[in-house]
Amino acid sequence: MKTEFHFRDEELRLSTHLVDDLDLDSIDAVDLAVRVEEKTGLSLNEADLKSIQTIQDIVDLIDERL
Amino acid sequence: MKRLSRWLRIAGTGISFAAFGIGGLLLALVCFPLLRIGVKSARVREERAQYLVHLAFRFHVRLMEALGVCRLTVSGREKLREPGQLIVANHQTLIDVVLIGSLLPQLDCLVKIGAWSNPFMRGVVRAAGYLPNDLGEAVVEACAARLRDGRSLLLFPEGTRALKGGELGAFRRGAAHVALRSGRPLRPLVIRCVPQALMRGQHWYDVGDRPMQITIEVAEPIDPRKRIQHDESRGAASRKLNAALRDFYEGRLYAGRGRGLADALQGRDPQVGHRPDEDGIPFPR
Repeated sequence: MKTEFHFRDEELRLSTHLVDDLDLDSIDAVDLAVRVEEKTGLSLNEADLKSIQTIQDIVDLIDERL
Repeated sequence: MKRLSRWLRIAGTGISFAAFGIGGLLLALVCFPLLRIGVKSARVREERAQYLVHLAFRFHVRLMEALGVCRLTVSGREKLREPGQLIVANHQTLIDVVLIGSLLPQLDCLVKIGAWSNPFMRGVVRAAGYLPNDLGEAVVEACAARLRDGRSLLLFPEGTRALKGGELGAFRRGAAHVALRSGRPLRPLVIRCVPQALMRGQHWYDVGDRPMQITIEVAEPIDPRKRIQHDESRGAASRKLNAALRDFYEGRLYAGRGRGLADALQGRDPQVGHRPDEDGIPFPR
């Protein structure tokens, strides 16, 4: 997320809310999903994306699938 | 006398609303069907419809000026002559689209989805081929495609009108995304309106003590290619370009203004606490 969106370390905590804190929009969400898929080899569907609100949710999702 | 002129302007505003609705119906029920006769190409139909909308908007601006609702001054108008421009504007009043549309014979717009079910606007948005705003991220490509076709497109980065008080709202990154996707520079229009009327959260009959003095400044383009490196992700690039656009508008609208901002936007001189004379628009240049 640092390289994709140029966020700083201190902005990225597990509890950080993607929309409220980082101002991610729908295009960012697609880019983020593509990055996660590339890095992990998982394939995410729309329902997965909708369930993600915080960075913790991303971690949990990856953890659950791998 | 002042009270009389205020009532006349409220009546003028009401007449303008009625004319807008009737005009929309007339275009949809009479003009557009006539226009379709013998024209097979959807693109030609849309362009003709947009030209008619432009003529209707020009008429509407003249009507509003004649009724004492507003007075429009445009600077740098010749910069709009070139087709295929990505035009962005700060969103002040309900009539911004009418004013900008009166300047361009062809203009694509992104319109809120509600217009497709509004009886006064439905016919117009369909015939002119305006883009609905509910396409999610696909809307960026839809907008870029229009620009690649050589058509001009209007976007409001704030997404909605400013609240009374006139402070810029948060800028969404859609316009920046469209600029990056299409490679087109952003052409900013700076809209200023004193006294404020027809803003979000303001009743239509709240007309102020004189006609709305509206100025539209056509500014120099902001070119994404000069600001963004090639290897930047679109998430980062769109943030950077959006910030540059925001800086531009803040510089134009707020420069040299400290705590007197709210006063200046209300049309009061912060130094002396009352309105300046009729001729002076209290915005720093």
